Amino acid sequence: MTATNGSEHFDVIVVGAGPAGSAAALLAARAGLKVILIERGEYPGAKNVSGAVFYGSTILNQLIPEWWEQAPVERHVCRRELVLMSPTTSVSLDFRSAAEGYVRPPYNGFTVLRPKFDRWFADQAEAAGAFLLTSTVVDDLLWDGPQVVGVKTRRDDGDIRGDVVIACDGVNSWLARKAGLQRELRTHELSLGVKEVIGLDESLIRQRFQLAGDEGMALEYVGAVTEAVHGGAFLYTNRNSLSLGVLAQLSSLVEHKKRPYDLLETFKAHPAVAPLVRGGTLREYSAHLIPESGWNMMPALFADGLMVAGDAAAFCLATGIYIEGINYAMQSGLAAAEAAILACRRKEFSRYTLSHYMEALRQRNVLTDFQAYRHAPGFVNGERLQNLYPQLAALGGEALFRVDGNRKQKLLPLYWRTLRQVGAKPRHVLQDLYQVARAYLW
Amino acid sequence: MRIAVCLSRLPDPETVEVDPFTGAIDLSRTLYVLNPADAAALELALRLRSDGDSVTALTVGPLEAEQVLRDALAVGVDHVLRIWEEGRTTTRPAVTSLLLATALRTEGLPDLVVCGSRSLSGGSGKVPAFIAEYLDWPVVTDILHFSLSNGRVRFRRRLPRGARSEGEVTLPAVLAVEAGTAPLRYAGLPGLMQAKRATIAHRQLPELGLSPMDLNFPSSTAHAAMPPYPRPREMFIPDSSLPPEERVAQIMSAGVAQKAGRIVDGSPEEMADAILAFLQEHGFVAGPA
Repeated sequence: MTATNGSEHFDVIVVGAGPAGSAAALLAARAGLKVILIERGEYPGAKNVSGAVFYGSTILNQLIPEWWEQAPVERHVCRRELVLMSPTTSVSLDFRSAAEGYVRPPYNGFTVLRPKFDRWFADQAEAAGAFLLTSTVVDDLLWDGPQVVGVKTRRDDGDIRGDVVIACDGVNSWLARKAGLQRELRTHELSLGVKEVIGLDESLIRQRFQLAGDEGMALEYVGAVTEAVHGGAFLYTNRNSLSLGVLAQLSSLVEHKKRPYDLLETFKAHPAVAPLVRGGTLREYSAHLIPESGWNMMPALFADGLMVAGDAAAFCLATGIYIEGINYAMQSGLAAAEAAILACRRKEFSRYTLSHYMEALRQRNVLTDFQAYRHAPGFVNGERLQNLYPQLAALGGEALFRVDGNRKQKLLPLYWRTLRQVGAKPRHVLQDLYQVARAYLW
Repeated sequence: MRIAVCLSRLPDPETVEVDPFTGAIDLSRTLYVLNPADAAALELALRLRSDGDSVTALTVGPLEAEQVLRDALAVGVDHVLRIWEEGRTTTRPAVTSLLLATALRTEGLPDLVVCGSRSLSGGSGKVPAFIAEYLDWPVVTDILHFSLSNGRVRFRRRLPRGARSEGEVTLPAVLAVEAGTAPLRYAGLPGLMQAKRATIAHRQLPELGLSPMDLNFPSSTAHAAMPPYPRPREMFIPDSSLPPEERVAQIMSAGVAQKAGRIVDGSPEEMADAILAFLQEHGFVAGPA
């Protein structure tokens, strides 16, 4: 038995064993650093929630070649559907591809069950030499003047000292706030996601979603699913279960006095969703906050001896087209590890050395993506996109496809009439077109 | 004083999911925990420890069972030992107890063995009694609390219907502690980190001087003593030839007749036979198999 004690010194302390934390620990440990990975859950993944589609297959493939062979993945996503909804109708854009990148290794994305996946990923970090400490809550940082020199855990003699602390402690990052890097979050920047995992027979899933083998599908919904509340919903196929949930902006939940689980029930009862989940049995229920504002709520990412990564740094890209977080979490964890490795080589842990983190984030296209789409979250959570346009699409579709013996109108007058019917002003439509262009086109 | 604590690792009942159609258990969702009664036993053992004492934790189980020993190390146990015969999947209580008792013997007999009263999984509650049998020591079950005084253990036991009994037993002895009597302490950080890195000692059958044949003894026959199926209670009918006031008196006194007890005397064997005969006669125990 090696003689150790609580004041043992580590090169890198990673707080939180999610995708960001485990990635950081894995890379730092491989570089020969002495790494401790601290997790508050009983095991890594016990407290982690997301949709969850993991779009970072190629990133992970560079770390662990052929990772999908050994990791607990569910299905590879080769079918995506964006659905606009009114209370009775749905209009969707269905994407399905058998192109190389979607159905062959390394694949584009996988549905995963986070408790299994995160546990596996943390095991990889442990195998690389990181010391994994579970069931331990980190309460505070240890300071030496302006320099972070460790963390304080909620156990007796619970101080752990280290040169660099990487805070991957999730959306409500305690450490980022303690260090003064993050302000109090505002309710319009956060969404509350409630999620159910519904068990369903494997063959039934293949039939219902028209999938073969391990193919998977990701559906995302906008419109009447969340009633007047701003938000959306998702439905992902796992091996023998479905993950489905509703995301709702916190401020708008409060404003409309809605409960998220009621929205989830409404969603499951929608005529476009009910046939997909029929006959399933509820396996899990979970809820989580999502830092949806991305760029606009990003904290200062580093201080002397401290870096922030993953959800704690608001690396969650929710733009409507992209709903990604795990891949950015991993990327940011890796970037933080790179900066930590550099700092440990130079034996210099000030903010000047750690500013390499920003550079690494840019190289890994994290900051660039968030900067490019910085206008999207505001637009996606706008009133008209949330309720008016889905309604418009649904009514337009209803008018377009109805055959009742009346004179058929050409498309432009038909849509003009629908536009008037839902009370959309042409001025607003033009405004929104500009918004879309600004958010997505250039 | 040397104290030994026997621990077991079992599936957390909250995570055991049974397929309603096939009845199969979905093992991929199962998490394993330290048996709650064992956790209480461990805590009481640690509270008993004073300077110069040592606490050893033992478990019978595969490599994954090391986790309970690491948990024990984290809260401050001095030594740990895992006993297992590779290739085995499960053990019956009799085998578990034989392995534990043999290991206790080969590692140097302790002064006190503390066990959990019964596991959450099998729940037979046989292991403490079997260990005591193999070691030829007294056993006290259903313990809520115990303390040491002058080489004797004073204990409080849980009886049915909320009753308690107190008594004393001489050392060495086997004590079986009820679940929930004492919450296991929260491990400090240094202990936790040390436990995680510790190498867990491991004994296989040859090291215990056992052969696989020793574990293959015929299955034991346990006589379960259960309350018999309630027989219809005979209604008391007063003698109609008596005058009314006497009939009323008879009715009034009928329910409060003293319960008769009988104390048997003789050698232990004779007393045991008498008790068994009584239990059989009254339907508590089926006749000898």
